[in-house]
Amino acid sequence: MQRDKFFKEIENLNHPNEKLIKTHCSYCGMQCGMNLRVNTQTNKIIGVEPRYDWPVTVGKMCPKGVTAYQQTNHKDRLLKPLIRDDASLKGTAEGFREASWDEAYDLIAKKFKELQTEYGKDSLSVFSGVSMTNEKCYLTGKFARVALGTRYIDYNGRFCMSSAAGGFLRSFGVDRGSTLPWTDIHETDCLFIAGSNTAECHPTSMFRIWNVQERGGYIIVVDPRETPIARRADLHLDLQPGTDLALANGIVNQLIEMGYIDEEFINKHTNGFEETNELVKDFTPEYTSMLTGVAPEKIIRAAEIYGKAPNAVVMFARGVEQQHKGVDNVSAYTNMALVTGKIGRPKAGVATFTGQGNGQGGREHGQKSDLLPGYRKITNPKHVEEVCSVWGITPEEMPQPGVSAYEMIELMEQKTIRGLYLLCSNPAVSAPNQNFVRKAFKALDFMVCSDFYLSESAEFADVILPAVTWSEDEGTVTNIEGRIIKINKAQEPVGESKPDWQIQVELAERLGRGKYFSHLKTARDVADEFRLATKGGYADYYGATWDKIDKQDGVFWPCKDEKDEGTPHMFLDKKFYHPDGKAKICALPYRPPAEEPCEKYPLRLTTGRVVYHYLSGNQTRRIPFLHDMCPEPYVEIHPDTALTYNMEHEERVRLFTRRGEAIYKVKLTEAIRKDTVFVPYHFGHEDSINLLTIAALDPISRMPEFKACAAQLEKVELKKVQ
Amino acid sequence: MKKRLYLELENCIGCRSCLAACTQCGGHEERNRNYVYDVNPLVNRQTMPLMCLHCENPACARSCPAQAIQIHETGAVLSALVEKCIGCQNCTIACPYGIPKFDHEQNLMYKCDLCIDRTKDGISPMCASVCPSNTLQWLTDEEIDNKKKQFNLDNGKWVTSMPYLEGETNVKVNLPGILQGITKLF
Repeated sequence: MQRDKFFKEIENLNHPNEKLIKTHCSYCGMQCGMNLRVNTQTNKIIGVEPRYDWPVTVGKMCPKGVTAYQQTNHKDRLLKPLIRDDASLKGTAEGFREASWDEAYDLIAKKFKELQTEYGKDSLSVFSGVSMTNEKCYLTGKFARVALGTRYIDYNGRFCMSSAAGGFLRSFGVDRGSTLPWTDIHETDCLFIAGSNTAECHPTSMFRIWNVQERGGYIIVVDPRETPIARRADLHLDLQPGTDLALANGIVNQLIEMGYIDEEFINKHTNGFEETNELVKDFTPEYTSMLTGVAPEKIIRAAEIYGKAPNAVVMFARGVEQQHKGVDNVSAYTNMALVTGKIGRPKAGVATFTGQGNGQGGREHGQKSDLLPGYRKITNPKHVEEVCSVWGITPEEMPQPGVSAYEMIELMEQKTIRGLYLLCSNPAVSAPNQNFVRKAFKALDFMVCSDFYLSESAEFADVILPAVTWSEDEGTVTNIEGRIIKINKAQEPVGESKPDWQIQVELAERLGRGKYFSHLKTARDVADEFRLATKGGYADYYGATWDKIDKQDGVFWPCKDEKDEGTPHMFLDKKFYHPDGKAKICALPYRPPAEEPCEKYPLRLTTGRVVYHYLSGNQTRRIPFLHDMCPEPYVEIHPDTALTYNMEHEERVRLFTRRGEAIYKVKLTEAIRKDTVFVPYHFGHEDSINLLTIAALDPISRMPEFKACAAQLEKVELKKVQ
Repeated sequence: MKKRLYLELENCIGCRSCLAACTQCGGHEERNRNYVYDVNPLVNRQTMPLMCLHCENPACARSCPAQAIQIHETGAVLSALVEKCIGCQNCTIACPYGIPKFDHEQNLMYKCDLCIDRTKDGISPMCASVCPSNTLQWLTDEEIDNKKKQFNLDNGKWVTSMPYLEGETNVKVNLPGILQGITKLF
């Protein structure tokens, strides 16, 4: 299926006494195909071999993917449950002792019951993540609502994909991250890529992206930094961080002005054009330039290229989404496709670069505070009834919607939430405003953390449960395209570690809720219940059986039944998912970043990734090759800016905001705006840039504004002298 | 059909996946054998890989007093034979591209062998297998000829082994600039 010109028949190298297990990478939404090499005598994973026959990535892997297998048998793996009796040591890695699963489960059940008896059901919370299979994500939502009976569950997608989800829901009425398969990308004529450092964050998209230029097509990149993809782009719109909404409005203004709109498409298939047309009239190239810092002629040229392109894809990522108007940014860039009708056909559409491995699937099936499996709403009585019938509970037993990830942390600080079960996430690095977050975790009466390494967040736990890595369990993941794929098990769990679904089933039994969970004995059992629970929802996975996934090289949702082959291209019939079948062109007034530079904090601070690390770095910082390539964070500063502070390359300087400070090594580069500084966010403790970032939340997605706040620099030596 | 390593430097994104993958080739003792350079790191993000070009008449082998560097029938210039290498480092000095590396502990030279256990059977070397940007590709001579036709540069010349390199090489290189001759679609 979808074997394109990049696909080559290449046989794998088979070493003696080894077998190859087909699977996908543990890290980002690309979910590159890979084979894990397993020694048939020790039954241990010992290496990686390219998976040339995976149609999306044809054997390609970034340095994280190549070394991903080194996580499994790593010396830092947690082999047994750990208990810490001395709560005064919270926030350190000290004081843990090994314990049996029985002792750990007993303690958790006792503490959870005590807290709920004293403070009510909602005194417990679940904070989860989406770097795990759909089956685990699904069961985590059920565990919170059925085993714990709490309303407070949310997940790290609030720091990742929630703005894309909110924007797509508003524009299309459905949230599938890409309206087209990745195998279309290289065949389009123009890629408009905003807020995505694609070469570092989704490297295996690059061979397709460069091919657009090789064919004579165009690449337009929107980024405050001259990233590797911006360097080679036909046009680089070097905007100030946090001004995307103005730029998108400005481009739509020019698309209308220059006559590139598709009136027939607008009339037949969309609502909201008139209001939007009215609103964007103000966003002339000159006015947009004043707001964004992008030269007017570049704005005009971008509209001209995108408007002329027979087919074009608008793409974006966290750069536009991690803002307190992230949802508006997503809808505003999506407007470009809707006013020109460049959507609902092959080689044209809109896509977000999904961050986490299962950022797509993990947000659809009930880990979000207000969602249930199949993208159902917990506030919709019919939806609640449908899910209750699968779970075997009554609608009255279904908890109310909770609050978003960062707001849960606020409730911990206020003692409304007193217990936490954290899994698959490391918010003590990844959440904004870390000084507050760490204080909130310390304030908890009882915290359980499930992970396969002792993360910075685990340092706040009373009990740590050893989970398995992705290679020691099986299940499905939904990749960047909306394609459901299969992760396969390559070796038995290390030590006494267990998959999170099994931990939840056993914990539910201890909590006296076994009758809702005990029938789930294998990952496949969870998968079967999960598919059933999605049936009839609009993210319908019912027809995506493991056999079909294997046979078809993945299944694009929605996939309603056995005969349904899935939906690689969305909206081919020009039907959108709003009740009237139309898409919404959104009129979105501009708002500046929540915190603008001032005399005291004159610089714009933005954060992001490097190619060698994944998210909080809990996994990748432990891999020797990746650590060697990028052992510590740094602050990127333009040489002209550094000159005004009298700072030199590699000098250690203090960077600070209203919320916190950190010391970083200076990295001078002309590939950044003079008014902006950049720090990668993969590092913990005193190195974490999230000590400085702002928790200004988007009103819809509750996404914090990681990408823009006001900061100041100071020489460290000078301070000592004072 | 014979395939060659082909480098298109314009595509490099500096991810160093090629170096990570190099350590994963079974015969490489988990040490990477090539290089990726930041071309001008204080100015921009341009990077380029520096891979062994597997010269047809390799200076490393010519300079070796112990004949430790063998040339495989596929043209791959192999890493020094452990039993023959005397650790003189002539090869590291003779190579015009600075490819051979030296292990001071073992007193042995080691270099790219083009993943000979893969390429002897026509399987793509690890670096070209994983390269996310298609900077490194594993192509037939016919495919390389097509590249010549496709990238018709300003100066009318195919920028490859001659005259910029020391001599003829088995690996073919295309320097930055491939997009100059492209006709835009619109």
